[in-house]
Amino acid sequence: MAESVLIPKSNSQPVKVKQGQSFWPTLGRWSFILPLLIINLIIVIIPSVFGLLLAFTDWSGYGPINFIGLDNFSKLFQDAIFFKSLSNNLIWTALFLTVPIAVGLLGAYMLSGIKRGQILFRVIFFLPYVFASVVNTQIWRQILHPRVGIGPILADYGIPFLDFPIFGTRETALFAVAFVDGWHFWGFLVILYLAAMTAVDAELYEVARLDGASRFQQFRFVTLPSIRPTLVFTILMITIWSSLVFDYVFIMTGGGPANSSEVMGTYLYQNAFQRFDVGYAASVGVMMSLWVMLAVAGFVYLRRRGWDI
Amino acid sequence: MNRKTLFVLLTLFTLLFGGTISAQEVTTVTWWTEDYVDIDALNALLVEPFNAANPSIKLEVIPQTSLDEAVRTAFAAGSAPDILQTPGASFIGEFVDAGLVYPLSSAAAELGWQEKLLPWAYESGILNGELYSIPLTFESMILMYNKTLFEENGWTAPTTFEELQAIAEAAQAQGINPFGYGNSGFQPANEHVVGVYLNNYAGAENVYAALTGEKSWTDPEFAEAIELLRGHMADVNWFNDSLETWFAYGWNEQWTALSTRESAMMIIGTWGFRGADEFFGETTDEWDWAPIPPFSSNLPEYNYMLATGSTLSVNGQSANPEAAIAVLDFLYSDPARVLQIASGYNYGEFVVPLKFAAEDFPEGTDERIARFYADFGAVTAEGRVGYTTWTFWPADADVQLWQEIENVWYGEMTVETYLANHQAVWDEARADGAVPPIPTR
Repeated sequence: MAESVLIPKSNSQPVKVKQGQSFWPTLGRWSFILPLLIINLIIVIIPSVFGLLLAFTDWSGYGPINFIGLDNFSKLFQDAIFFKSLSNNLIWTALFLTVPIAVGLLGAYMLSGIKRGQILFRVIFFLPYVFASVVNTQIWRQILHPRVGIGPILADYGIPFLDFPIFGTRETALFAVAFVDGWHFWGFLVILYLAAMTAVDAELYEVARLDGASRFQQFRFVTLPSIRPTLVFTILMITIWSSLVFDYVFIMTGGGPANSSEVMGTYLYQNAFQRFDVGYAASVGVMMSLWVMLAVAGFVYLRRRGWDI
Repeated sequence: MNRKTLFVLLTLFTLLFGGTISAQEVTTVTWWTEDYVDIDALNALLVEPFNAANPSIKLEVIPQTSLDEAVRTAFAAGSAPDILQTPGASFIGEFVDAGLVYPLSSAAAELGWQEKLLPWAYESGILNGELYSIPLTFESMILMYNKTLFEENGWTAPTTFEELQAIAEAAQAQGINPFGYGNSGFQPANEHVVGVYLNNYAGAENVYAALTGEKSWTDPEFAEAIELLRGHMADVNWFNDSLETWFAYGWNEQWTALSTRESAMMIIGTWGFRGADEFFGETTDEWDWAPIPPFSSNLPEYNYMLATGSTLSVNGQSANPEAAIAVLDFLYSDPARVLQIASGYNYGEFVVPLKFAAEDFPEGTDERIARFYADFGAVTAEGRVGYTTWTFWPADADVQLWQEIENVWYGEMTVETYLANHQAVWDEARADGAVPPIPTR
């Protein structure tokens, strides 16, 4: 019996090719993806491997690179700020897996029920997503400004709950930044969920209505199961993106006050560009990559368990 | 080959290679600078005169957002500019260690830069006996205040800590914050106040001793200085109206607060001259400045903290180091030109630490600014100098100093732990040879 090897196919199902089959047609197929592989090698694989190796060095960003074994990781596991950053990333993930998804689902479901003006609302909801983070942060910095923002204005009318430096208070800084980032992000989810909901077979709703299902029951038993692949995909992406969060935190609080809004991304930046400890920063980066790999592994595991995602 | 073809070929050859030959005769020197500069003014006052005086060199000054990061990235890519601008002398050490900076001692000796520059400023660029950088601008910390508010209340600029305290308490009694300042958008602003409290309470002599390794940062005078700052920041709210507001206020807020009497004073560097006219111009109040008084009765006189705001060096990988040196020499050889450029920033930027004479200042220079530079020259000439963290601290120690102080203010870290951590980072930097040069006191 001839031995066989596996080669990838576009639908990700392996195809068995018998050994002894002509070499040239196989090479011809590979040559089509060769440019992509080369680009991938140059801009993804080599920098990734280099970044991984740097985590075992004391490189400052310039000059000689000395390998120091696991010293960076040993330091990392005793670093209270790193663990604070990690826990903030976890809080961030929990926030983004709940609030924007819930609001996005609600927005999409409500929009799916209207015929006139849907495009207008889609544009309005999506608009913050296309604005640069610098623009969004400046808008909200002014809205929530402790002197000229809505806080002091509301306080004048006897509603004082926002009349304090919301980005300058340890207890609220991370949540305030997450709110601004979530505000810009939820419209993106609305568009994704709306597209998925549009594809749901209308007959399913009709049958549910005939069975006496309420709007909520239609949503719970028809819409949600039908858009599950999209929902799980957004959960996966949010989990990955939450480990990489940087821009909104960096611009609005810089990780402060007193590291209260520090996340792994800002801590990495601080070590690489302020302390000139690129090796240590790379070890933080490795931890971020581990997070992403865990998320992807979970996704793959669920697929192998037969989840339709 | 007929004559017509020969003519065409000759013409093409002349056009192609003639142009190339003449282009090669001009050496381009690139200099990346901060993005807040008025590039049109800089081109008119520096670039065009230099290029006119040096036909074989073409100087190009290019503003960059996040200059330090842009330079670092460019170094990694092998395309850094010929003239390196860094945020301060603390930053040049890493580049020097990596062999990326051109040594300037021989050029400086030949061109007489040591005679032209203020001695401490010249010395701040020497690492391991070799000159690697020269300050582009020098600064000091001062006390700016709302002069109109002071006059209406019969207050005068404080010369002792007791006077400062009396004004602070009187201001607070009227609902006015003693100081307006904050770190929103620039977390290292923390170090401005930490440095002032270290120098003005523990004393510059002690700071110098700690910088040179003769004292420990854990010594009681430093602990008392940091505790005094912590109390002012977190207990009595001298800075804005709460610790939280410190993190919410930035450049615009702090100036608005001072010019609208929300606050009475501001501890700030001389770069503050840049904002004074702009913000007070929108009110009927006037501003003024004073030296920061000593915070301890053990210190009889005020001094001025020394600081280089930015430094200039020549890229060690530059193909044209001599041309880059010619640019630096053009700048350092003309005090009047320097002051003309600096006047565009109300003397808050581009104040190259040259030995200025009174006549170098353009006519009509603001009396308050001229008074500062005259007093700074006289006082520092007597050796009454302090030390700013961003000039004389190693980068890692500097970051620890301005970062962990927030934990001290919030009571999450004791003063003792903060200073012990600081000493530990210093020990590491000293062992690595990463301590910036400290001018002999």
